[in-house]
Amino acid sequence: MAEQLSQVVASMPRGRFLALMALFLGPAVAIYTLFSIYPLIATISLSTYTTDNAGAYSFVGLANFVTLLTDAVWSKPFWNAALNNLIFFAVHMAVQNPIGIALAGLLSLSGLKLKGLYRTIIFLPTMLSVVIVGFSWNLILSPLWGVSEGALKTVGLGSWFAPWLGLSSTALVTLALISVWQFVGIPMMLIYAALLNIPEELIDAARVDGLGDFRIFWYIKLPLVLPTIGLISILTFVGNFNAFDLIYSVKGALAGPNFSADILGTFFYRTFFGFQLQLGNPTMGAAVATVMFFIILVGVCLYLFVVQRRLRRYAF
Amino acid sequence: MATLSIKNLAKHYGETRVLSGIELAVEDGEFVVLVGPSGCGKSTLLRMIAGLDAPTLGDISIGDRMVNGLAPAERKIAMVFQSYALYPHMNVRKNMTFGLKFTGVERQEMDRRVAEAARMLQLEPLLERQPRDLSGGQRQRVAIGRAIVREPDVFLFDEPLSNLDAALRVSTRVEIARLHRLLRATMIYVTHDQIEAMTLADRIVVMNQGRIEQVGKPLDLYYTPANLFVAGFIGSPAMNFFKSKVERIADGRAHIAGPAVETFVAPASAALGQGASVTIGVRPEHLDIGAPGAFAAKGTVELVERLGESSFAYIRRADEQMMVAEVRGRQTPSAGDTLSLGADLADVHLFDEAGRRIEVATA
Amino acid sequence: MLKQRAQSVGVHVILIAYSLLAVGPILLVVMNSFKARRAIFGAPLAPPNPTSFSLVGYAKVFNASHVGTYFTNSLIVTLVSMGLVLLFGAMAAWALTEYRFRGSTALALFLSIGIMVPIRLGSVAILRMMREAGLNDTLTALILVYVAQGLPLAIFILSEFIQQIPKDLRDAARCDGVPETRIFFEVIAPLLRPAIATVAIFTIVPIWNDLWFPLILTSSDTTHTITLGVQQFLGEYITDWNSVLAALSMAILPIVAIYVIFSRQLIAGLTAGAVK
Repeated sequence: MAEQLSQVVASMPRGRFLALMALFLGPAVAIYTLFSIYPLIATISLSTYTTDNAGAYSFVGLANFVTLLTDAVWSKPFWNAALNNLIFFAVHMAVQNPIGIALAGLLSLSGLKLKGLYRTIIFLPTMLSVVIVGFSWNLILSPLWGVSEGALKTVGLGSWFAPWLGLSSTALVTLALISVWQFVGIPMMLIYAALLNIPEELIDAARVDGLGDFRIFWYIKLPLVLPTIGLISILTFVGNFNAFDLIYSVKGALAGPNFSADILGTFFYRTFFGFQLQLGNPTMGAAVATVMFFIILVGVCLYLFVVQRRLRRYAF
Repeated sequence: MATLSIKNLAKHYGETRVLSGIELAVEDGEFVVLVGPSGCGKSTLLRMIAGLDAPTLGDISIGDRMVNGLAPAERKIAMVFQSYALYPHMNVRKNMTFGLKFTGVERQEMDRRVAEAARMLQLEPLLERQPRDLSGGQRQRVAIGRAIVREPDVFLFDEPLSNLDAALRVSTRVEIARLHRLLRATMIYVTHDQIEAMTLADRIVVMNQGRIEQVGKPLDLYYTPANLFVAGFIGSPAMNFFKSKVERIADGRAHIAGPAVETFVAPASAALGQGASVTIGVRPEHLDIGAPGAFAAKGTVELVERLGESSFAYIRRADEQMMVAEVRGRQTPSAGDTLSLGADLADVHLFDEAGRRIEVATA
Repeated sequence: MLKQRAQSVGVHVILIAYSLLAVGPILLVVMNSFKARRAIFGAPLAPPNPTSFSLVGYAKVFNASHVGTYFTNSLIVTLVSMGLVLLFGAMAAWALTEYRFRGSTALALFLSIGIMVPIRLGSVAILRMMREAGLNDTLTALILVYVAQGLPLAIFILSEFIQQIPKDLRDAARCDGVPETRIFFEVIAPLLRPAIATVAIFTIVPIWNDLWFPLILTSSDTTHTITLGVQQFLGEYITDWNSVLAALSMAILPIVAIYVIFSRQLIAGLTAGAVK
């Protein structure tokens, strides 16, 4: 039965009720609509315009998108950025989330001492600014300083060292791993919270049935936190296809060498603001943002309508 | 203090009729308990009296004032909630005075009322404490104190004891009864616990499926339940029922028998005509072993629960149904015994096919 | 028993190793920021000692940039945004959970779009709007954008929390004759305190650390935030290792300090918020 409106509220004069709602909802709805939803719609609409040298706008329909996807000047960097972004996301899914889940599994072992300390330390990098993290790793991996090379030498792997951030073959994956290093705390925390939610009695029952810690994790805990794993996947997806700060602060807007670390966020920035010789182009920028919006929208819809429906939530 | 009157009250949620045809008149200073199984609408009725829910139909008056459409605060009521609903971030004193701030009570008057309520409920040492530092019983007293300082015309209690443990429930029950004597206030009290209802009420309102089944003094409900529902609801363990038929009328006496009833002879009346279907009801405490009275039944003991002062024998009857008999004293039957049970005419209740009580002359 | 002990040791070894990986780089940067240039390169893994200790990097940062201004700007933007997100978010969450009216479900859905769709994608239009409104290059512009960005999640978390507050409380308040606005401000709002930590962590951290909006919305030194300021400083002084390490440490240390002090509440809030 739907909860009924309280008599007090139901018997309020209509004008007073409206005033009350305006007071409570007004500020939030106004700011949110004006500075979040409206700009999004305005950006999408702007993507169907173009500007001439005098700055006058004219409607061009989907022409910007056609240019973006087919004109070699635009499409080459666009597809490069999109593919790189996909790799960036794949590294997170393959490395960040499994490590986060494993750490959460270890932390949730009953009777583990110092878990608060471990949790605090492992989550620390997540709190830092991406700019700071990017720069710190930039220094650490720099052959000029030689810290990494020295560290590798002490474990006998000195020959493995290479200026990873500087090579076009490794820059993107290295940046992705830096991002993984920073954000592994988020899947860890979310999974950890979900694991805490599993009743201790269920784990005891499994132990009575003769399962060891690893099997309990694999057969009992993991299936029960699948919805949370779905959630971290979509959070990772949205975060990755919207990423910018790390690559911009480590590699600048050109995301070099040779655009090898260029992702949609940096490509959007260059298109919108211009960089060095390239002039800023707001309408093409809006078109790139619109494409990013639809990529994220597809991901979110896929999550909401396919993944989330298939994963059962258990009430304990 | 004031009377309360409810006329033809109904509450519908869409198609669902939660309450219908509620008529009730409560006298000034009366303690009325609304009792019934969960979902019978008693809490909804209380919330409508409070003004928290709106009735679909009907009128509610407090004193000679119709209160339909008035906000709770304008009705001069105070309510004690099942969860106590103490404001967790205010100490006891603030909890009691918070509501008074909005009704224009003077500071001095506020202090006087709080002091008086605190004295009445022995809350004086707790006034500066936070709710989280109080025990369940203390919280309950604060909730009652918060109602008292409002000096309402009508007190409303919504299952106030159900969150307390058994021992506290008894002592708080006594406390509430004492308070009622002291304040001489009109009180409406909702519970699903018939012992609370029996011990506290001047009058009990038994509700079932959105209707009032019977209104009466506690012992009246016990001795003369108006229908099968009330007969079965009041009393624990519940009354035993026997489906039976009037077999013949002879010498102005009706001979009634059924699959599980050996004999039952009652003075004939209009309702007890030849061939009439009736239900016989006998309370477990009125069934005596081996002492056949006007009523006699037989069965085999399956289980005996020994409580000390008395025992309950669960007996399988001839119609395969169970009946319960209360046995006093040290001698208790054992499982497997076959027993003959009897009851006096005065202790036997008769109900017609529609479940309504049939009055039987006992003289 | 022996097997269990071995297993427990193994678990600790893994966790310690990962913890080192997590703090090592941070420690390395902070440690070396207190050393002279020669020691930074000569023995990067050694902690500073009396001979290698030096604050030359910090001195340079203070002389060459407006760290104080950046820091104040970040503080203003973050705190004001957080305050507004909490206030407006709690009010909206209360209205949406308590007063059901036609369209309230639709409104709740509308407000939740922003949880998944990043506001960054509207940057082109935001910049235009701010320019037209004369808010370009002001902290107000940043605050407005950050409040819009923070509200959806705050409303979501606070709604979940408000639903757990017993309904009897507001009924009791109504029986006491408390006006509706005061029911929120005097009865409900004080009870939201435990949720504030959760909402705060989801609000403060992204705002404090954001590079994008300061980059596109602020253009002068007086409006830069610490994240943007440090980023630009680092870009300019990339070859001056002392300064770079000092600037990084100055950005790291306040966050680490706050984090260590509040980590218990922050993590409790994070796990509580994450349960749903």
